[in-house]
Amino acid sequence: MNPLYRDTNLVLSAEGVHRSFDGFKAINDLNFYLSEGELRTVIGPNGAGKSTFMDIITGRTRPDEGTVKFHESDGHDIDLTKLPEYKVNRLGIARKFQTPSVYNQHSVFDNLLLSLNRPRGVMKGLFYKMTKDDREEIEEVLETIRLHDRRDELAGFLSHGQKQWLEIGMLLAQKPRVLLVDEPAAGMSDEETERTGELLLSLEGKHSVVVVEHDMEFVRQIARRITVLHQGHVLKEGSFDHVSNDPEVKEVYLGRQAHG
Amino acid sequence: MNLTDLCKRSLFWVLFILGLSGPLHAEETEARRILSKLILAHSEEQQAVTEELYDHGDQIIKEVIEGWRIGKVSVFDQDGNPIALLKRGEDSYEEISSGNSFLRGSESKINRASRKLRKKLRNVVDFLDLSSNDPRERIDAAMKLGLTQKPDYVEVLQERINRQKDSEVKEAFEVALNISLLKNSDSSQKLQAVKDLGESASFPARDFIEALRVEASESDDDGASDLEEACAVALEKIDSEQKRVEFYGSLLRGLSTGSVLLLVSYGLAITFGLMGVINMAHGEFIAIGGYTAYVVQGIFASTYGIGSSGYEWYFVLALPASFFVTAFFGILLERGVIQFLYNRPLESLLATWGISMIIQQVIRLKFGAANVAVSSPQWLFGSYEFYRVSMSYNRLFLIAFALFVIIATWLLLNKTSWGLHIRATMQNRRMASSLGIKSSRVNMMTFAYGSGLAGLAGAFLSQIGNVGPSMGQTYIVDSFMVVVVGGVGNLLGAALSSLGIGVIDQGLQPLLGPVMGKITVLFAIILFLQLRPGGLFPARTRSLDD
Amino acid sequence: MIAALKPFEAKSERITFLSMLAVLVVMLLLNTMVGEGSALHLPAYTLGNWGKYLCYAVLAMSLNMLWGYTGLLCLGQCLFFALGGYAFGMHLMLMTVDYGKVPEFMQFMGYHELPGYWYPFYNPFVAILAVMLVPGLVAFIFGFLAFRSRIKGVYFSILTQALTYAAAILFFRNETGFGGNNGFTNFKYLFGGDLRTIDATRWLFAASGILLLLVYWIIAWLLTTKFGKVQLAIRDSENRIRFSGYSTTHFKLFVFVLSAIVAGLAGALYVPQAGILNPSLMEPKIGLDIVVWVAVGGRGTKLGPIIGAVLVSALKSYTTSAYPDYWLIILGGLFVFVVLFMPDGIVGLTKKTWAKYRKKEVPA
Repeated sequence: MNPLYRDTNLVLSAEGVHRSFDGFKAINDLNFYLSEGELRTVIGPNGAGKSTFMDIITGRTRPDEGTVKFHESDGHDIDLTKLPEYKVNRLGIARKFQTPSVYNQHSVFDNLLLSLNRPRGVMKGLFYKMTKDDREEIEEVLETIRLHDRRDELAGFLSHGQKQWLEIGMLLAQKPRVLLVDEPAAGMSDEETERTGELLLSLEGKHSVVVVEHDMEFVRQIARRITVLHQGHVLKEGSFDHVSNDPEVKEVYLGRQAHG
Repeated sequence: MNLTDLCKRSLFWVLFILGLSGPLHAEETEARRILSKLILAHSEEQQAVTEELYDHGDQIIKEVIEGWRIGKVSVFDQDGNPIALLKRGEDSYEEISSGNSFLRGSESKINRASRKLRKKLRNVVDFLDLSSNDPRERIDAAMKLGLTQKPDYVEVLQERINRQKDSEVKEAFEVALNISLLKNSDSSQKLQAVKDLGESASFPARDFIEALRVEASESDDDGASDLEEACAVALEKIDSEQKRVEFYGSLLRGLSTGSVLLLVSYGLAITFGLMGVINMAHGEFIAIGGYTAYVVQGIFASTYGIGSSGYEWYFVLALPASFFVTAFFGILLERGVIQFLYNRPLESLLATWGISMIIQQVIRLKFGAANVAVSSPQWLFGSYEFYRVSMSYNRLFLIAFALFVIIATWLLLNKTSWGLHIRATMQNRRMASSLGIKSSRVNMMTFAYGSGLAGLAGAFLSQIGNVGPSMGQTYIVDSFMVVVVGGVGNLLGAALSSLGIGVIDQGLQPLLGPVMGKITVLFAIILFLQLRPGGLFPARTRSLDD
Repeated sequence: MIAALKPFEAKSERITFLSMLAVLVVMLLLNTMVGEGSALHLPAYTLGNWGKYLCYAVLAMSLNMLWGYTGLLCLGQCLFFALGGYAFGMHLMLMTVDYGKVPEFMQFMGYHELPGYWYPFYNPFVAILAVMLVPGLVAFIFGFLAFRSRIKGVYFSILTQALTYAAAILFFRNETGFGGNNGFTNFKYLFGGDLRTIDATRWLFAASGILLLLVYWIIAWLLTTKFGKVQLAIRDSENRIRFSGYSTTHFKLFVFVLSAIVAGLAGALYVPQAGILNPSLMEPKIGLDIVVWVAVGGRGTKLGPIIGAVLVSALKSYTTSAYPDYWLIILGGLFVFVVLFMPDGIVGLTKKTWAKYRKKEVPA
């Protein structure tokens, strides 16, 4: 129905995905392609299927129908619908949750340490020793998320915005190819929001990033290519101006938001 | 059903007291009328009149006919009107038709029955029970005769079949006759009898048909193979009927076990499922309900005396009493402890466990460590037979009451504003309170209701088993299982899973014994949760860290 | 010695560990070296009681590994304790009669011959192996099923309670073959020594003390590893750690099995000291008693479970003889009090008070 964006340099592709809960079609014939290094923003009204879609990519929910493939750099395709969450993650797909999820009882440093892209089995955990490389990587992330001076504090003491950043940092520490970021600006002050936007923009090119967002100001700031979801289906795809001027989008999304 | 019984019974006593001064019982009067008529009738009419006696089973018949045989019956001619008399003593006579004593008996003439009539009369006496007024007694008497398979009884049974107006009784007579015929008839009749017995799927006939089948298989008479085949068909019918009855019997037992489970776990489903509070003291609330019933019974016993009709009504008061008493304790627990522990399910589990220990011990100190017995009222005794499946009243009452609780709870939650508040608070505590719902009040009342249901369950359990300080412990693990299997927060799920678990439990018990049956059910539940971790009706939630 | 203290980075932790060791040694010395007439003498009876308390403490520590550090509240920890006890009890029962003879309790139940699976238990080391393997295996199977289907929180608690309940009614049956509700009793010999002597009491006390210190050390060491960090992370945010590439199922299973083994070892040492073992040890209320110990002492702390187990058990032993009717009421009241007013137990409260004194905050 829609002209779909295709690229030879794909990192993630979902085709013909369906998923319903008790008869409610959360995802309905969804097609989605993500290129290497792309920054994509996904918007849509409540119940459009954004979170369910994230769940499907990360192995939390299984689709009823359709394929979700991860394209390895060596040309292999991996079916994500068969893997448990931790294996999806180890492939290089990291996810940030809507509500900030950090380990409150661990220091900021340890939060990042646990997120490092290292062997993560039980035995490896018992006999792990931190190397100089590990330390440097963590320091680097601490710089990026500006929590350098709070590295030894318990994460539970951080402010809401700082927790959001820490979680983004935890994603970065995983050195993923794809970052799925769910409402990163929720509960942040204007200044924090802007800095979050800058952070996300700086990732462009290095990682493929999918941002799910509600806040239209924030979307305008970071928008490159936007996908509008509606009733579990891709309604429109394109630039911010293209999408925001589309009458259909206005009807289902902006229109509805105006009503409250 | 129980109420009508009760009414009948009280009516009987009223009539009994009124009737003490009155003349004779109606049944006896009629029997006397016929007897008198029989004695005075012409000899050619006597045969027909005798048959009229088949409809009556009063003892007077036996007395008069016995007397007739040994020359104690005489006829007095009063101005051309003959009166039949029975000699009661040396010089005392009784008018047969009325039972009044007759002064001029010595002037009467002894009357003897003809030889032809005597045989028939002996049948009347021997088979008096076949003519009993109580259909149950008639059925039993007929079956008793049939099962002996004595040839003498064939005729008697045949004679009486058509006189039976009650279809159930008539059928029993036919079955009895057919069983008798299995031995005492020619092969074509046997064949018919086997077919009929198969058709009516008579259980007592099973062994006889089996015997006949063996006999037929060993015989090489003509038609033996037909008979054998007919027997096999009939046996199959009987067996399948027997299975049906057994199936419904255990289904019923399962449903009533499930109903107990339902009453126990419904309260839990509300406090645990809807409110997220693990109330380990739920079992002790059951005990409180049981002891309330015990106390109410004690009060009735001392006010009306045990066994009096007033005492019989104690259970009607014990039900609401145990509900409200337990609900009151529920309020105390909610206000005193649980209100501080919402959203901390593990902590509420621990605190309520502490409470449960305290309650148990307090009960022990107050009522003693031994179990106390609560007797069932008379009107819960007995059973009702429906298509051969026997259902005891207390089980039926239990099932009906469980249904009542389901419906009442549903109405409460869905049709009242209080229910709306409950559902709103359960879904989003903060939102509901910001909308002006007094969530602390709603919590308190909901917890009280859930606890009250546990109390009701306890009152019911007092009718089935003993009441003891740790009676709730037996049910607490089971009822947690019910809630988990049903899907937390789903009352329909709790209802289905308790009935399901009850039925499976009862179905397994005859096969595995009670202990292994229970263990199997527990492991089956653990395996079931592998397939459906959220239970039958999993709660859907979008938040990640729930 | 220095290497052994490696898991204890902070000086205070080293002092705690060494003082525990010192207390145990002193208790033993007060019994052996101080004459009976002296006021300082520790009677054998008291030493025997403390030997049992130490086993309770280890049991509490095993639950703390699950509940305190991983957030898994297991209400069936008593099952693993009892299973370890039964495995070791089998050896002890065999030692009551000559080789190949059927122990008395089995004769009552109509056994004329020793069933084949009893024979390996003549070897005490096989028995010790079974003490670890049996609870470990049960935990593995149950844990695998439970964690695989993401059963957690109160559901996990309820299912573990059901598990121990089912096991209890199974062991109460005579047909199960472990003595029904009478269980095992009248033990006589262990490693050739007579269990009814004071020497046995001392040895068992020492063994319990060593087990306690060993388990304490293992837990402390685990907490310093990345594994220990993952454990806490599972407790705080299981989804986050799962989406960070860790199979929480594997981690939880490992902790569950390890804690079952520890509980089994504690049970094995408990049985010869208690002198009796029956299925009432598997009843759900015992499982909850262990939870009380941990909660009172302070869950998620290394020392809390030990303090809780010893304190509550000592209180129980005092109250049940002084005020037998009120023990349950006191215990219940204590429980409610701790949950409502001391959510972090004695250790947590002490820490908080100390931190307030030092003007430091502790995160919620």
